[in-house]
Amino acid sequence: MILLDRVSVMYPNKTVALSGVSLHINPKEFVTIVGSSGAGKSTLIRLLIKEEVPTSGKIIVGSIDYDTIDKANIPHLRRRIGVVFQDFKLLPNLTVYENVAFALEVSGVKSKEIKRAVPKILQLVGLSEKMHSYPSELSGGEKQRTAIARALVRNPKILIADEPTGNLDPKNSWDIIELLLKINRFGTTVLLTTHNKEIVDALKKRVITINRGRIVKDEKVGKYTL
Amino acid sequence: MMTTFGRVWRTGFKNIFRNAWLSSAATAIMVVTILVLTFFAFSTVFVRTQLAQVRSKIDLSLFINDDATQNQIQTLQSKIGTIPNVTSVNFVSKTDALDRLKNSSSEGAKLAQSAQDIGNPLPASFEVKLSNIDNISATNSSIKGLTEASIVTDSSYDNRDDSRKGVVENIIKISNSVSKIGAVLSILFLVISLLIIFNTIRMAIFTRREEVEIMKLVGATKWFIRGPFLVEGALYGILAAIISLAVTIPLTRTISSFLTDKLGAGPTLQYFSSHFLLLSGGMFAVGILIGVISSWLALIRYLKL
Repeated sequence: MILLDRVSVMYPNKTVALSGVSLHINPKEFVTIVGSSGAGKSTLIRLLIKEEVPTSGKIIVGSIDYDTIDKANIPHLRRRIGVVFQDFKLLPNLTVYENVAFALEVSGVKSKEIKRAVPKILQLVGLSEKMHSYPSELSGGEKQRTAIARALVRNPKILIADEPTGNLDPKNSWDIIELLLKINRFGTTVLLTTHNKEIVDALKKRVITINRGRIVKDEKVGKYTL
Repeated sequence: MMTTFGRVWRTGFKNIFRNAWLSSAATAIMVVTILVLTFFAFSTVFVRTQLAQVRSKIDLSLFINDDATQNQIQTLQSKIGTIPNVTSVNFVSKTDALDRLKNSSSEGAKLAQSAQDIGNPLPASFEVKLSNIDNISATNSSIKGLTEASIVTDSSYDNRDDSRKGVVENIIKISNSVSKIGAVLSILFLVISLLIIFNTIRMAIFTRREEVEIMKLVGATKWFIRGPFLVEGALYGILAAIISLAVTIPLTRTISSFLTDKLGAGPTLQYFSSHFLLLSGGMFAVGILIGVISSWLALIRYLKL
């Protein structure tokens, strides 16, 4: 469960990134957030992974109240939320296998368990054969699937995908979206932001539209309108 | 816990080879730093042993009236022995003084002969050795303040011409300022090299800031991110110390005869060979400390969660 209660973010130069955003997302939901560039989508995501702190308002994810979590626990919070970015954010010096394994290593998971879990998740995203390739040897779609595998390997309750198809061609974009739908069917809450109208319209899922830091539309089965 | 500890070490090791260029730069600068510090240590010990030799030769001579009785001389000798700064008092009789002159050189032998002819005018004296040469003036006054000191005609410290007094004071001054300058220069150089290494490591971390960013995003704790960098810094230090030793040992072996014969650095070399463990331990300690401290400082900026 994700709960935002009248959350606002204001920067020191008086720019308002989010203004009084209230929002409730249930477990296992698939929600798409749309809005033009600078509307506040990325701010919303940075708030959820606690890269940013709201100027006012309350955020609760699962049973964690973001106001009361101390700094030392932020890494633990981030381990419970899988995040996928438009620019993949893979470690260039590590292979596909090592990139995915890294997410488990930081959580202190035993090597034996890593050796068991990583191949399984790579199979799920269809990258078993690229296990030992470096990111520079992968296509955009493969990089994004590696990033998704890394986000999923810890069995997060929530997966946030921030414009995961932004750098991909239509074919690869659909592969990624289908992968996200599959993950959602397994019971993970998926929060997707995208500019791709075709995808949003075809998904027939909940769509939240943000404009100038405010939620202007929240529809159960929405379409891409700005 | 142990799993994470092992991973931190492994990653630190791997990173050295993955950033070979920056690793070599950082190590090279550390080698230079350690070598310069070793040179400073060597020079300080050298100057100190040289000065100690010179200073050990300075003592206080007190000349005694020819009329003094054996009894007076013995009383004064034991009295001087009780003065705090005095380590030993040696009595040199008139005959001893003449013998010394005779044996000093062929010129001295002639002089001694003529002195003997006119009835040995050389005075008897006390040679007083001091534990701290800095207090020579005070000790001289205390000796002359003794009631038994009436038989003392003159002292080498306040001799008629002031030259010896001046030399003694000059040596004390030089010796003290050499130590001070050496310490200041060492600290200055340590700070400069810390800054250079700090910047080198900061550059290494800057090129990997994205890596640090990603680690944070996937939920790595500060220690998990910092650990490998600290291990890396420490390893640079260890490597630099090994290289420095590999340079210093053969180099001193090659030029040791020159150092001993031309510079009289024999005691200094001996000091270092008998304190070899301390010296090499110091090199490792300096290397590891510089590496770890500069990595730590360089990371602070990128580690805000």
